[in-house]
Amino acid sequence: MSTLLRQHAEQLFAHELDELRKADTEKRPPNWSLSPQAVVTYILGGKLKNGFEVTPKYIGNRRLIEIAVATLTTDRALLLYGLPGTAKSWVSEHLAAAISGNSTLIVQGTAGTGEEAIRYGWNYARLLAEGPSEKALVETPVMQAMRDGKIARIEELTRIGSDVQDTLITILSEKTMPIPELNTEVQAVKGFNVIATANNRDKGVNELSGALKRRFNTVILPLPDNMDEEIDIVRRRVQSFEKIMELPAEPPAVAEIKRIVTIFRELRSGVTLDGKTKIKVPSGTLSTAEAISVVNSGMAMAAYFGDGSLTAADLAAGIIGAVVKDPVQDKIVWQEYLETVVKPRDEWRDIYRACRDLGI
Amino acid sequence: MSVHVLGIRHHGPGSARNVKAFLEKTQPDIILVEGPPEGDELLRWSAHSGFKPPIAILAYIPDQPHRAVFYPFAEFSPEWQAIYFGARKNIPVRFMDLPLVHSFALEKKEKPAEDTISSNAFRHAEVTPEVYQDPLRHLAEAAGFNDGERWWEYMFEHRRDDEGVFDAVQEAMQTLRTELPQKDDYVEKLREAYMRKTIRQAEKDGYQNIVVICGAWHAPALVNMPKQKDDNDLLKGLPKVKVETTWIPWTYNRLTYTSGYGAGIKSPGWYEHVWHYPNDDGTRWMAKVAKLFRSRDMDTSTAHIIEAVRLAEALAALRNLSKARLEELNEATLAVLCNGDEILLQLIREQLIVSDTIGQVPHEVPKPPLLQDVEKTQKRLRTPAEAGIKELTLDLREDTQLQRSIFLHRLLLIDVPWAHIMQVRSKGTFKEQWQLKWEPEYSIRIIEKGNWGNTLEEASANYVAAQAKDAPGLQAVCALLEKVIPSDLPKAVQALITQINNLAAATNDVVQLLEALPALVSVSRYGNVRQTDETMVLGIVNSMIARVFVSLPATCVGIDEEAGSKMTEHIYQLNESIILLNQQDQRSEWYTTLRTICNHPNTAPIVSGYSTRILCDAKIVEGEELANRFHFALSRTANTSEAASWLEGFLKGSGTILIIDNRLWTLVDQWVKSLSEADFIALLPLMRRTFSQFSHAERRKIGEKAKKGITDPTATALAPAEDIADVARAMRGIPVIAQLLGINKKGTDQ
Repeated sequence: MSTLLRQHAEQLFAHELDELRKADTEKRPPNWSLSPQAVVTYILGGKLKNGFEVTPKYIGNRRLIEIAVATLTTDRALLLYGLPGTAKSWVSEHLAAAISGNSTLIVQGTAGTGEEAIRYGWNYARLLAEGPSEKALVETPVMQAMRDGKIARIEELTRIGSDVQDTLITILSEKTMPIPELNTEVQAVKGFNVIATANNRDKGVNELSGALKRRFNTVILPLPDNMDEEIDIVRRRVQSFEKIMELPAEPPAVAEIKRIVTIFRELRSGVTLDGKTKIKVPSGTLSTAEAISVVNSGMAMAAYFGDGSLTAADLAAGIIGAVVKDPVQDKIVWQEYLETVVKPRDEWRDIYRACRDLGI
Repeated sequence: MSVHVLGIRHHGPGSARNVKAFLEKTQPDIILVEGPPEGDELLRWSAHSGFKPPIAILAYIPDQPHRAVFYPFAEFSPEWQAIYFGARKNIPVRFMDLPLVHSFALEKKEKPAEDTISSNAFRHAEVTPEVYQDPLRHLAEAAGFNDGERWWEYMFEHRRDDEGVFDAVQEAMQTLRTELPQKDDYVEKLREAYMRKTIRQAEKDGYQNIVVICGAWHAPALVNMPKQKDDNDLLKGLPKVKVETTWIPWTYNRLTYTSGYGAGIKSPGWYEHVWHYPNDDGTRWMAKVAKLFRSRDMDTSTAHIIEAVRLAEALAALRNLSKARLEELNEATLAVLCNGDEILLQLIREQLIVSDTIGQVPHEVPKPPLLQDVEKTQKRLRTPAEAGIKELTLDLREDTQLQRSIFLHRLLLIDVPWAHIMQVRSKGTFKEQWQLKWEPEYSIRIIEKGNWGNTLEEASANYVAAQAKDAPGLQAVCALLEKVIPSDLPKAVQALITQINNLAAATNDVVQLLEALPALVSVSRYGNVRQTDETMVLGIVNSMIARVFVSLPATCVGIDEEAGSKMTEHIYQLNESIILLNQQDQRSEWYTTLRTICNHPNTAPIVSGYSTRILCDAKIVEGEELANRFHFALSRTANTSEAASWLEGFLKGSGTILIIDNRLWTLVDQWVKSLSEADFIALLPLMRRTFSQFSHAERRKIGEKAKKGITDPTATALAPAEDIADVARAMRGIPVIAQLLGINKKGTDQ
């Protein structure tokens, strides 16, 4: 077992990628390690001809993943758009892993991301000592991806300032990165493309300029359609977490996951699942990703401080932490929910008591 | 001699193309098409240049026109292509389905009760066991598709090489028909037997090269002919009814599932595109999309189209398809042009995939006289039937526009809601705004009303007269009259007025008269624009009002609070009407009546209060008398709630009078002060209800006044203060005001 805290997708699923490559008979675009069909199978899961089972990485609409993969075969870049916690980065990582066998060429977008993080920087010691030269150049992930014909990933594109965003235009349309200081350029090798992610909930984001928008095909990743889909997602992700964390806890019962997903879906939509009771909506997004982390932390609690099996008490703190983001407003929302919805449900007594015991 | 059976899908553009190609290659001497033989006569019109699909054959039973069936044809329907081919080349075309004279009669026997248009239009979507819902599904599943429609599209409609396609269809259907459990459907057996009979007849008539076009499912049954005697036995002695047919225009919207035609298709606009441009790789379609987007002010560059086509092709390749389908094109549009936003896709669905297309039928085609009259009028007034929503603003002072308005109103009278009237923003009664949207089934509604008359004028007048005869009460007839007045039907108006007069004389119920009055008064107002004889209506209004005056006071006596507040509402409306009519005699009579109401000690207090208020507003009761009445009402020692109720009636709507008149103010003030604590608490909700109706400013002023108190209880606050006005300065403003008001004062103006 690896000692790494978290492995990259291409490491964790190396075996699957290998099997897919062996079974893959379709045409591969230049520099792709798998054919587009195989990439779709890798993401959505399926059975190979030799009987090998590929686990699904993304559970949801097949159409969306097909559009995403097809986009990457054209010369437009891909923009994954959606609420926080809708598996944008997750999909982007797996796409890069499946297509280029490398998901590490990544630029994290922040308000402070500068041009040198996207184009290239300078090793100033060298620059002063030797003057501008190829050696003094510090390559960015984007530049490397262009050289090697791989997928570059840009996280949170809309957090990057507009002036810096626009440096991508030349890269995406001319497929070249000029280096005027050296009077040279880096031209992208076939297979290069960009996957960017952005979320539409955050405040203080920089909208893409029209020119840049035109270089991207947009795929909106939605929240899970229905209860079962969401439970499935949480269950699978929690299982993989157990594997990574080597937790001794018993695998969580689906019933327990179902309760968490129910709470999250109800609070998110502002109405109980039976559609009868109206509920106030808290300020957090309560995405599937947060449901996963609540179960995970509950598992850890159960493993280290409990008897190894997941109980309501282990989950309570996590749920409250996820729901109550604003100490004043959300607390009222949560208490109302607890008293009006959780309390009357007989089989939910334990959760109610556990949450009340925490005193929030 | 040879018989070629071509199994097709109704409204499949690929099938249509294959049929056309086959006909051109084979050059048959007769074509048999699945359709009602009663329509054979109509086929001789099909080469007429005035035809523009989508159109439909409408078949109906003359004495029950609401029992009707439509057979729609689009340009991309294989049946239409066959018909059109025959008409162009002078090859006889015959319909070969079970005649409607029988199928209508059979239907009648099976379910005599429910006979509505819709249920008959779904004749093809009969309830069948699940295996037959979508027999193609079995083949589709075998081929790895999840939907029979999509499999068919992929296999037959989008195929570009048509070699042997009909043999393949027939073989596939043959397998299905043998493998699936035997279907025991009497009507289907009859239909297939009749189709075979028609084929035999064609053979007997000496035709050598027969082409048969039918739904794919029937193809095997027409190839493997059973003994002629069996079919004849089956068809013997079928019941019959009389059936008539005509051509009517159809719309693409009606071809889709959403609008409920069973054999419908989801994307007629796309099918038309595929029919016209079978080799389009999506470029032309995306160009259409871009054009649509640009027309809605959304920036769409050529580069967008290029990228979208590329993405669609990449998607098709990913799914192992040889060509991008509508699905791929839509997904590409979504990702490239719409930035992932589904809302814009809705626009494409409405405008391009379904599209607002309506067909045309030449005027020479024989039609029922009323339908013909309506169509002629549509043409004369230049208001053609259109599938999309169209707005029309009419200025009734112009003759043609008035004619149009009358036409639309008359159609409304015979229950054809082609147009509905909208609220006009500008003032004045000479303008009307309409919203028009034609639906094909309006044709059948018009035909249905054909028994009322051969022209629209005649039919609508007779229909209204018949409705009036069955009307439940005075109010219904009056509402009808309101609808008839703008339709310019003097005969019907006369009939309605006579009826109203009779009903009004017979009724003892004042409330009924009161309810009917507002509609009548607004009718008499229309008179001058509409050139209707308003005196006719006015006479009846006056006589009705006179009746009301007589019995109103008695009606207001001894009623409970709820009835009282309803009565105030009626009195309010009546007052408005009387002001509107503006007749001196009537007014003074009205005020006398009101006085009687106020004076009667047992009148419901709220009515009495409100009547006093009207008299006060009209300056009939003023000053001392008003104060006395106020005093009287509020001083009833026994029952404080009656006093409050009276006050509620008096202050209905506005409390300004309290602010202006200090005397009344003092009375109310004293009355409130005199209340015991228990009474005060009991009356508080009632008073709150009264005062909450006032405007915010009024309430604030009343509050301020109550806080400040008043110094001189006898003076009125708004005494004209002459000494403040500077007459010379005021005079200087007058010319400007005169100009603003449009008054030209002689002398000052040159």
